Amino acid sequence: MAGRAKQTGAFWLRLVCFALSAVLLVVYATYVLTPKHDYGVCSMINLYAQPQNSVDVLSVGTSLAYAGINTNTLWSEYGIASYNLCSAEQPFWVSYYTILEALKTQRPKVILLDAKPAVYSRDYTRRGRTILSTYGILGLGNRIGAMLACVERPEDAIGYILGLPEVHSNYQRLSVSDFCFPPDNGGRGAAWKGYIEMDETNHHQRPSLVWTDIKRNMNVREEEYVRRIFELAQAEGIKLLLIGMPNPDYASDHMFYNALWSIAGEYGIDGINYNHPDLRYGLRYSSDFADWQHLNVKGSVTFSRKLASDLKELFDLPDRRGNALYASYDACSADWYAQYPDFKLDMKGDESI
Amino acid sequence: MSILSLDFLVFFAAVLIVYYIFPLKIRWVALLAASLVFVALSGWQSAAHLSIVALTVWAGGLGLQALRGVRMRKLLLTLLLMLNLGAMMLIKYQPVFSDWFGFSVWEMGVPLGLSYFTFQSVGYLIDVYRGKVQAQHNPLRVWLFAGYFPQLSQGPISTWKELGHQLLEGHRFEPEQFVSGFQLLLWGYFKKLVIADRLAATTSALLTENNALPGWFVLGGVVLFAIRLYMDFSGGMDVVRGLSRMLGIELPENFRRPFFSRSVAEYWRRWHITLGAWFRSYLLYPLTTSSASLALSKGASKALGKRVGLALPSALATFLVFVFIGIWHTANVNALVFGAYFGVVMAVSMLLDPVWKAMRRRLKLPKGGWMTVVRLVRTWLLILLAQFFAFTNSAAQGFSLLRQSFSTWDFSAFSEKMTSVMPLLEWGIAGAGLLVALVVDLLCERKKDMDARFLNAGILVRWPLLLMLLLSILVFGIYGSGYDAQAFLYTQF
Repeated sequence: MAGRAKQTGAFWLRLVCFALSAVLLVVYATYVLTPKHDYGVCSMINLYAQPQNSVDVLSVGTSLAYAGINTNTLWSEYGIASYNLCSAEQPFWVSYYTILEALKTQRPKVILLDAKPAVYSRDYTRRGRTILSTYGILGLGNRIGAMLACVERPEDAIGYILGLPEVHSNYQRLSVSDFCFPPDNGGRGAAWKGYIEMDETNHHQRPSLVWTDIKRNMNVREEEYVRRIFELAQAEGIKLLLIGMPNPDYASDHMFYNALWSIAGEYGIDGINYNHPDLRYGLRYSSDFADWQHLNVKGSVTFSRKLASDLKELFDLPDRRGNALYASYDACSADWYAQYPDFKLDMKGDESI
Repeated sequence: MSILSLDFLVFFAAVLIVYYIFPLKIRWVALLAASLVFVALSGWQSAAHLSIVALTVWAGGLGLQALRGVRMRKLLLTLLLMLNLGAMMLIKYQPVFSDWFGFSVWEMGVPLGLSYFTFQSVGYLIDVYRGKVQAQHNPLRVWLFAGYFPQLSQGPISTWKELGHQLLEGHRFEPEQFVSGFQLLLWGYFKKLVIADRLAATTSALLTENNALPGWFVLGGVVLFAIRLYMDFSGGMDVVRGLSRMLGIELPENFRRPFFSRSVAEYWRRWHITLGAWFRSYLLYPLTTSSASLALSKGASKALGKRVGLALPSALATFLVFVFIGIWHTANVNALVFGAYFGVVMAVSMLLDPVWKAMRRRLKLPKGGWMTVVRLVRTWLLILLAQFFAFTNSAAQGFSLLRQSFSTWDFSAFSEKMTSVMPLLEWGIAGAGLLVALVVDLLCERKKDMDARFLNAGILVRWPLLLMLLLSILVFGIYGSGYDAQAFLYTQF
């Protein structure tokens, strides 16, 4: 009898060990097979590699923000320690969980929230890559929360939550770097701050529109989650600033932005719409865009100088240059300017503008 | 609920826990409840039809046991068979009847596992009639026998002697049996999801672009269809048997590496074993022992000699059985050609068996060695010929593809043709999967107790292999979003 009990006990122990091995293997396989785009997955995972509380300005939003907010310009010219935590077509419900996760390790003074999702009309996220961008969130609660928020029915999220059902066929596109943790951020290294440069140039004209106060209702779920973000920022005592990224295609977005600004007003939250016709800071629509809506490198530098000066004016943001905790910003900037020496400014600080 | 779905795995995990928590004596009640839930989730039609069949079979069984007169018993059995098999045929062949008569007799879809539970129930009735088993007094026990959930999707077809008592006895949790079941389950999923579903693209290619295809492409496609069908059906069967084994219940084997057969007769003893056994026991045996068969034997003996006289009734009965097997698959000309073809091959081989034996003696042909290879190839060719009618949509299409396989064998566009079906990497994965399956089948063919040997191997051997198998299924399996998961081919029958 005792022998049988011993045997059964040994069996359960072996079963648990086997199950654990299987789970570890599956988790690693999921990581390997997950497309590690530099936006979304990489920028989120890389955030965990940053020293704790070393980000003063956290930018959250869509590709407009990660291509437009040049963290290197903000750092090297103004000493602003900023990090872009953005992903392609990131809806507010993903932004919400992204912020929640970021707040586990960082305590930013300001959160910059990209206003672009205000124009998104879909109730749920249909594109797999947007949902897959949440795979960088290592906190299970926030990751599952983001996935559940993306899909219409909870059962639709099961494949994403388990991971492999959604990513298993990526074995066709694997490279050696996919097996490494953390991911190589497209060769940018751990000091990278989430800015993704776009090198192309696409010629545009400044959007022509009648500047009105007319509002167009936002999608109900986008509104629900942007309100949650506002409430979260208030609860955490973090300043939040809405950002309307300059965009040649802005005319169609205008009334949605008005609605968003109106909602933000209810919470006493302000924003800067860089599409305002009165705002002139040297941005050229003929040469500063990479495509129909993203700023290119030149545009990002011009825009970020303006953004930095506005941030300095609005908030009490210390110049962190020379502080050992922020050494990675120096490394990131040095790497970046080595690749883009034309954008290096000799004079430092506010006086350069 | 497909046994391939995540829902099913969650359901089965819950069943496992509940089953082993239940007191030993009433564990069959847990199985009954699980089967009821499983059938109900497949639609109320399935639940209703299965319940009606179980009820008639229960009452019929008791009636057959209670009646004393031979005539009355025969009459009751005939009525019960007509009722159950008639209902099955009406539902199964509804589209054909609809074409013939212009109206539908059944518009509620085919209940899950219709053929399987009907055949199993009918087998029970005949066994009661023959006095081989005792009729069950509890209708719920008969329901469980007919509707035991793992085997509803595609069999196997068990007899009461094989399954009935196992279902009703409580089974203690046996770690070795549990692990063995899990291994079989994984192996089944591997065959189905990694190999069979990957090869589905080759069948589609044959059916969609069957014009002017090079001969090698058609023949290769048909070979791959035969392999796919085997991997699909036997993989599904391994899943079903693995699930059942985890519950402590051993279902009969349905495949015994049929592609190693040296004759068509052997092939049919190794392929869909339980269906063959059912037809042998409940159709072939009554046919060959009928008075008409005996009269035919006598007449043929007088006219054609004793040997032919003895073989002719069996050959004729075998031919009829295969025609029935063909029609059981689907009521169309293809299925008829498929069944009749095998019927003719089997009947002719039975009739010519004495001639063949005499020839082998005269030519002093060896039993093994190179003759084994010749017999394997011959069997393969005979099986392949039938496959042309197994997956095509019409007999004309089957004959057209058969013609094309003997047409031009132009290899100039080989790589282009192959990659038009699926990328090279996918071919590589399918090939690697097939190689693994071949090695396993070869090992099992040589050593009968491979399962036990594997179980007794140390964890340093077993665990890495099992983890690799699991990972292969999860990574290389055809499932998830963006894929059209293929249902088991035999579920439709």
